[in-house]
This record gives sequence, C-alpha cells and structure tokens, in this order.
Amino acid sequence: MTSIDVQDLTKEYGATRAVDRLTFRVEPGRVTGFLGPNGAGKSTTMRLVLGLDRPTSGSATLGGRAYVTLEEPLRHVGALLDAGAAHGSRTARDHLRVLAASNRLPGRRVDEVLEEVGLAPVARRRVRTYSLGMRQRLGIAAALLGDPRVVLLDEPSNGLDPEGIVWIRELLRRLAREGRTVLVSSHLMNETASFADHLVVLGRGRLLADMPMRDFIHARVEPSVRVRTTDGAVLRDLLARHGYDAVEREDRDDGGGDGDGSGGRWIVRHARVADIGRLVSGAGLPVLELAALDGTLEQAYLDLTAAETEFAARPASPSPIRPQEV
Amino acid sequence: MAFASVLHSEWLKVRTLRPLVAGLVLVVVVTAVFSALAGLDDSGDADFDPLFSAFFGVAFGQVAAVTFGAQAVSAEFRGGALRASLAAVPRRGRWFAAKAVAVGVPALAVGLLAGCASLAAGTAALGDRADGIGRAEGLCAVVACGVYLALMALLAAGLTALLRSGVATLGILVPFLLLVSFVVGDMSGNAADLLPDRAGQVALHGTRDGLLGPWSGLAVTAAWTAAALLAGTWSIRRRDA
Repeated sequence: MTSIDVQDLTKEYGATRAVDRLTFRVEPGRVTGFLGPNGAGKSTTMRLVLGLDRPTSGSATLGGRAYVTLEEPLRHVGALLDAGAAHGSRTARDHLRVLAASNRLPGRRVDEVLEEVGLAPVARRRVRTYSLGMRQRLGIAAALLGDPRVVLLDEPSNGLDPEGIVWIRELLRRLAREGRTVLVSSHLMNETASFADHLVVLGRGRLLADMPMRDFIHARVEPSVRVRTTDGAVLRDLLARHGYDAVEREDRDDGGGDGDGSGGRWIVRHARVADIGRLVSGAGLPVLELAALDGTLEQAYLDLTAAETEFAARPASPSPIRPQEV
Repeated sequence: MAFASVLHSEWLKVRTLRPLVAGLVLVVVVTAVFSALAGLDDSGDADFDPLFSAFFGVAFGQVAAVTFGAQAVSAEFRGGALRASLAAVPRRGRWFAAKAVAVGVPALAVGLLAGCASLAAGTAALGDRADGIGRAEGLCAVVACGVYLALMALLAAGLTALLRSGVATLGILVPFLLLVSFVVGDMSGNAADLLPDRAGQVALHGTRDGLLGPWSGLAVTAAWTAAALLAGTWSIRRRDA
C-alpha cells in the first residue's frame, strides 16, 4: 500500500515560512481532507510532495520514495494542481495524449478518463472554450490518467456546478473504497465534510490537527439537543431543575404561523436527545420538536483556528461555540 | 523513464498547438517572400552580393523562428502548465533536453526548407543577376540557413526558459535582430561580428570581409545558443516550478 509521508517538512520563501516543520501521513483507503485558510500552505505542501518545489528542510515521500525518483510517475501518483494547466489552444484530448505519451500510457486511457469525467462529447474542442468547471474536470481526468494508487487534488470542487460537486464527492468516495490514497485540499468546510474520513488541518504552515473527522468535530463542538414544547416556561424550569443549561432561540423560519402558543426553540447544551426526550415526556409536556444537534465541521474548524490565532478578536461572549441550528 | 517517450510527448505538444505549427510555416513563407522582394530591387549597388540577396529574407524569417522557439517554451509558463509537465516528467534535465530536440529538429527542417524556397524565389527574382551564385555555394548557403534558423529558435527557447516569459524573450530578441544588427551592420571587423545573428549570417554572404568564415560564424552562433540553453537548463533544474 502507498501512503504519503511528510516528515518535518519546511519551506521558506525569503523570510516567509510557508510550511513549518510539518509531519503527517496520509493513509490509503480513505479520503483525507486537507484543510486550512488560503495561504496556510496546502498547495505548497502538495507541490513539495510532487517534487515541484524544493523543501528548505525535511522530506516528503510516497510509499517510501521521493516523487522525483519514480519511473513514469503518472502510473503511481495523479495530481490536480491548477485548472489552467491545459493550454487553451490545445484540445482536451490532445492535452491528455501529451501526458499519456510521456509516461507510455496506452492511448485508450485518454478516452477512458474523458468518458469518466464526462468530457467525452467535447473532447475535441479547444480548452479555451471550456468553463472553469470543465477545465477542473479535465484536470481530474489528467490526475486519473495513469490509474494511480495515490491521488492529490488541490481544490477540485472549484468552479464545479452542483452536479459536478455531487459527482466529485462520489468519485472521491469511490477512489478511497478502491483502496487508493486520496488527499483533497479545500477551504470549503461543508464540502469537505461531505467526503472526508480523515482531516489534516494546517494554519500558517503548521499542523493544527491530524485525526478522523468525527473525532475532530466531537472534540471541539459539544453535542446539544433542540427541543420545543407548548410551554417554554415550564420546560425551562424542568431543565434547570435537572441541571441542564438551556437557552431560548428565536424562531427564524416559521413566521409565527404555528399558532400553538409555544415559545421559541430551546437549545440544551451537553445533552443527549434520549435524556431530554425522557425528561420532557416524563413531565407530561407535549413535545412539538426534539432533535439532536451534531456539530458541523465548520464550527469545529472555526473553534480550532480561533484558539490558534494569537491575537484573534474574541467574540463579545466568551462562551464556547454552540452547534448551529439547522 | 525513457528519453524517447518524453521526446514523443514534447513533439506532440508542438504538433498539437496551432500557433507553433503556424510559426513553422511562417519561417518558410516569410524568408522566401522577403528574398524574392530583395531580388526585385534593382538599384545597381556597387558591392551587390547576389547570394546575400537570395537569402535576404532570413533576416525576417529568423523572427518567425525565434517566435516559434520562444512560444514552444513559454507555453509551459502559463497557468501552471510547467507543474503538470514536470509532474509527468520529474527528471527536469531530461525533460528540457527533449523540449530542445522537439524545438530544434522541426526548426532545422523548416529552416532547410526556407533555405531552398528562399534560394529558388531569390534567384528567380534576380533573373540574370543571379548568375554569380555557384551551385555548391548555393547548396552550402541552404544548409547554413537551416542550421542558422534552428540555432536562433533554440537560442530563444533557452532564453525563454531562463526568463520564464516569451514576452520578455521576444522583447529582447526581436528589437535586437531587427534594429541593433542593422544599426551596427556596416561596422564590421569588430566585436559586432561576434553577435549571434551577424556571425551566423556570414555563411549567407558571397563576399566576406570579416574574421569569420561561414562555418566558424555558425560555430559562434552555436556557442551563443549553447549558452542560452545551458542557462535555461539551469533555471529549469534549480528553480521551483
């Protein structure tokens, strides 16, 4: 199996340290989301892994070998770095034929990957006539050309339409199921949450987190319960008596159309839906709504980066981040 | 990885880009047309050189050759194309060598073709006045024309790799070829003879007065080209893509 091993990797551009003593490993068989704000060093790390940039110190290897020592590397590693890599005056098919020729890949792979990314009907059109989403698909086709065990994609959902986003999600899941090593960078949290199993989070070139996505969210966002009954005051007293910390939230969406005389929705922190359900029904309160609130990746991520930013403006209330109402 | 497959890929790159194919065609057309125009000019100059007249178009054809060489490399410096190329072929020295062959060989082929076309069009336009051109002399000049144009295309390719920009390369080379050489053109017998275009074009003259002969002149041009290619190789190998 082929993993990506980044060991004490550092890259400096002049006085700026783009990647700072980074160590992590990307395992096969799962999708690893590579997160961080713009400028955190995600793209730089990918270029270092691919031997395109020279590290200041440290190393990056694929299955124990440096990328530049691979014979016919496209057969082992596929990468999407820039959607603009294909020359506008060349056809998509010719762009892939050029890449295939350099690594002695059979010509039929070109047509196969064009089919796979949905560009087969427009394969003989010049790339300059393509939308950003189509260029992105062409870049993904190039990454899949050599049927590689390792796939690195830098912001693959950029410019994709809604169907494209669903498609890339399915594709990434499938590549991981097939046992490949998949590293996908993004700064879009909801998007990443839809396909990643594991996360590597960067901030200012440093490693902030390297853990399964579930753990990452649960460690940072407390689970809560949303509950609504006919009598908000009774509910509040009930929860307070049992030591729960509950706050009322304004309804945002019903426009007062319920006409049931209830208060707003109550968010109960540090609670499980089973406990609150039993409690409320035991007290004989009619339950209008009861839902578990899972934390989102976005909340967990913002919590992490706020903690990491030394001089970040603190919110007015120093309370921990609560799950978002959905 | 095999050099042959990298070369195949680089050759495909040239073949599949219309501007590059157009540039190669232009080398032949421009050279022949300007040589024909020069032959029609019957001003009765005292030091009239029929051979140089028949190859006069090379001064303009070389601009097309230089543009071809610069574009073939500058295509790699737009939109992250170089990253895709070097991810496919991480051995950078080998990659750039293949690139140079894929530029130099077609440039040599169209250069020879341009030489033939130029000689044919030039002598046809000169009519009787072309009688001074011997058969062997003409043949040598055709070969020199091909070699010279290939060397100029490679000079531009090397310079583009060093400067990482086709615009910068052409911004230097085109004014240099069209202006500087004409300005210092009549001052022979000095360092100007060693400029890459002046030295290489000695072979296209029937009457020579400088230090350099036809082949030593081309050798001087080749030295300039080699320097540019080495500088380009250094840049490709050392810098981050």
